[in-house]
Amino acid sequence: MNVRAVDLIREDCLSGLEGRSEQLSPLRGDTVVITGGTGFTGTWLAEMIAALNDQYSFGTKLILISRSTDHFKSTRPHLANRADITLVKSDVRYMVELPKETNWVIHAAANPDNRFHSTNPIEAMAIISDGTFAVLKAVDRCGDFKMFLNLSSGLIYGSQPLEVERISEHYAGAPSCGSVSSVYAEAKRFAETLCAAARSQARIPLVTARPFAFIGPYQSMDTPWAINNFIRDALNGSAIRVHGDGQTVRSYMYPSDMAYWYLRILTGGSSGLTYNVGNPEGITLQNLALMIAGHFTPSPEIRLHTAAGAAKTRFVPEVAMAVNELGLAQKVSMPQAIERTIRWNKA
Amino acid sequence: MKYVLVSDPSLRDGNHAIQHQLSEEQIAAYCRAADAAGVPIVEVGHGNGLGASSLQLGESKTPDDRALRVARENLKTTKLGIHVIPGFATIEKDLKHAIDIGVDVIRVAAHVTEADLTQRHIDFARSKNKTVFGVLMMSHMASPELLAEQAKKMESYGAEGFIFMDSAGHYLPSDVTERVVALKRELSIAIGFHAHNNLGMAIANSVAAVEAGASMLDGCARGFGAGAGNAQLEVLVAVLHRMGYETGIDLYKILDAADLAEKELMSVVPTIKSTSVVSGLAGVFSGFMKPVDRIAKQFNLDARDIFFELGRRKIIAGQEDIIIEVATELAKRTQTAPVQARSV
Amino acid sequence: MNPRLRVGIIGSGNIGTDLMIKILRSPLLESTIFIGRNISSPGMAKAQSLGVPTSGESIAYIQKYPDCCDLVFDATSAKDHEYHAKILEKLGKIVIDLTPANIGPMCVPAVNLSESLGAKNVNMVTCGGQASIPIAYVIGKSQKNVDYIEVVSSIASRSAGPATRINLDEYIHTTERGVQKFSGAKRTKTILNLNPAIPCIDMQTTILCKVDQPDLESLKPMLADMVKKIQSYVPGYEVIVGPIIENGRIVVMVRVKGLGDYLPAYAGNLDIINCAAVAMAEEYAKTWDTYSQRMDNT
Repeated sequence: MNVRAVDLIREDCLSGLEGRSEQLSPLRGDTVVITGGTGFTGTWLAEMIAALNDQYSFGTKLILISRSTDHFKSTRPHLANRADITLVKSDVRYMVELPKETNWVIHAAANPDNRFHSTNPIEAMAIISDGTFAVLKAVDRCGDFKMFLNLSSGLIYGSQPLEVERISEHYAGAPSCGSVSSVYAEAKRFAETLCAAARSQARIPLVTARPFAFIGPYQSMDTPWAINNFIRDALNGSAIRVHGDGQTVRSYMYPSDMAYWYLRILTGGSSGLTYNVGNPEGITLQNLALMIAGHFTPSPEIRLHTAAGAAKTRFVPEVAMAVNELGLAQKVSMPQAIERTIRWNKA
Repeated sequence: MKYVLVSDPSLRDGNHAIQHQLSEEQIAAYCRAADAAGVPIVEVGHGNGLGASSLQLGESKTPDDRALRVARENLKTTKLGIHVIPGFATIEKDLKHAIDIGVDVIRVAAHVTEADLTQRHIDFARSKNKTVFGVLMMSHMASPELLAEQAKKMESYGAEGFIFMDSAGHYLPSDVTERVVALKRELSIAIGFHAHNNLGMAIANSVAAVEAGASMLDGCARGFGAGAGNAQLEVLVAVLHRMGYETGIDLYKILDAADLAEKELMSVVPTIKSTSVVSGLAGVFSGFMKPVDRIAKQFNLDARDIFFELGRRKIIAGQEDIIIEVATELAKRTQTAPVQARSV
Repeated sequence: MNPRLRVGIIGSGNIGTDLMIKILRSPLLESTIFIGRNISSPGMAKAQSLGVPTSGESIAYIQKYPDCCDLVFDATSAKDHEYHAKILEKLGKIVIDLTPANIGPMCVPAVNLSESLGAKNVNMVTCGGQASIPIAYVIGKSQKNVDYIEVVSSIASRSAGPATRINLDEYIHTTERGVQKFSGAKRTKTILNLNPAIPCIDMQTTILCKVDQPDLESLKPMLADMVKKIQSYVPGYEVIVGPIIENGRIVVMVRVKGLGDYLPAYAGNLDIINCAAVAMAEEYAKTWDTYSQRMDNT
């Protein structure tokens, strides 16, 4: 990662924090542990906490737990070499202890890549179920523990009916049971219930966030998700290929907003509550492709119906809980998110 | 017409107001009056319930055994109820004996986040074929969802009804409505509410509870209870009747019982004193009023400061010992403050 | 110097694991086996990481290898201990019982350490008992006609697991019995509060006492000596209020901070009982030569 790319992200973090950094002040001087700490989510949270420490003198210590710390050291040295960030190489499933000084935990360890879910479904489920179990057990022995943020998934609602504009936290849908395509969503459902059990029995203070979709730096453009592929195609100078008629609706949040929202939910959320995290404004894939194409000259061709008979779907959250209870807002609009993602990927 | 089951804990909660000094004669007299008025349930005992007579919480003038026997002898149709907090009362020492004396209704109580302490007591009372209700105290310290989650545990242990208490007198009517709605979503047993009057909301909150679907309410004669007092029973009955609810209670006779209570049970009728307002705002257990006043005097402190500090520390009923610690600390702080001011 | 006394732990939960860490620090004890039911539990992993031999075979392991240790700490449950106690007795093991099974005599190191040595199964009373009995004992020694002693403990809700909650009545009865036995008070009462506050509160125990004529001057020096004695094996033990006379009764309030070995520091209630158990085992270790000879002769 070059200096330019690093700077772009710092810029994102600082503007993300501007005027609302003090709401995260419970983190001052405390120790935050992130499981799955070197993934997309963990990296953004690390960037955000680094910015809080550098710009606002938070003095927050961050511990990133991951199996892939070696890779992180070589690809993200600007984070890995910081004095306020400690890397712990460990498989979260077999982790026995957390550092005693742990005050906050963000449990992000899970592999969201659906290619992995298809090829290795048992492992995909075990990372979530056994990993959550192990982390909760370890948290139970942290003396000055303040809050556990379980990162669940917007997928736990099952498929969103087209007539439901936005899914709220009370929506009672569920993924289909006994299907391999449900492994991730079903494991996340299990993890949420396990967390509720730990909150009830072991009195671990705990909040849940259900992330929807994000677009931004640190995301692999190879992951077979629509927006990533659109951008990758455009960056490669190829045509943007849209499965179906382009009327499928998605929504995306920029990761500096995501990271801020997570930290705010962690520090301000009430134990036992659940918050959707994502962009409540949906966009059709056709409009998304057009928006992306607009950033390139010459503008790439947009090809609809590249996969015949692809079903129209919808995946958009209601975020009134986060907005009303915690005063959260998105700072980065959809067009800005696209623009910054492209700029970073070019840098 | 809709029925509301009214429970009268005057002879239990009222004990808080007079350092647990109710005598056998007083218990007998009020039981007769309440029985005559057709009050469905009268609750008797130490302010903190069965087995709670102690130096920590105040010693009862009339021991549990005597109080329950006297009440039993003087209640014909009214059922005899007790309040039981695991941690104070054990099954072996206290509950078995109370059941032998003939209590009808056993309300097993815990702090709002600790419902799982009640499993064995509820189970035991059920096995003795008694009416068992679960009670969660200091319910304002939990969100409506968490309250419902804890109440559900009590239902699973066998509670036939569930009562949440506004022990600190902290609620506004909308808080009560929100909680009853959350409880109705979760429970299939009857829901009840026990109000305190620190912010002058006891009757309004009780009304909000039944309007939202609660079917049990607590009220004390003249509000006789801890701190600012409870929902005033005779007012509650009048209001419920005016709203068209049935209680089975005779209005004139409950007014008579309240007059008797004022004359025979209490030295002063509960009023909302300044400290009560503060304890209600701070969300601190009303039963702390007497010890806080006493200790404030002893340490030459403002009782209001002690209350806000207790609220900040989330001190719960049964932790009266912490008052001394808080007072010691506050006293130290006020002593050292001028010195610090000079050195800065 | 004598070789260290070889001790085993049965029960690989939080209590047993914390105990193991304390034993590893002891110059008198050697943790030779750590036994549980589930070889992949966090406690087992911790033991393995510290180089302590482990087994997932439960009591069967000691039956199979009776020479694995001379003294056994039982940190399982009351029900399991009743079963273990018979087996361990046959095998001639000294047993320190941390469950509420109440088989052997009660041991509170600051009060009756050397007397307890005669027993082959000692029980560690309760956390509230370990915190309050030494105080009750010096009240009993210094005051005439102790009418009544009351012990009120507050512990962090997070430190009370399902077993503690379901055994609340047994906790109360055992603590009351212990306080009565060691203080000679006519009547005793025990109260336990669970406090859900976050951050978690430290364990606090208040001892309130009714006597005819409170005599603080006699109590003070005895109390100071006693507290020093307790602190020698429970470093986090301190008197935070008293002794004072409030409303005509003697009040002493103590706070117990845990060492935070494996359990969190706020769990002083769990720590104190482990500290007491280790102190007891060390006493056996100090006198092991004479003790084992005596056993051989009988």
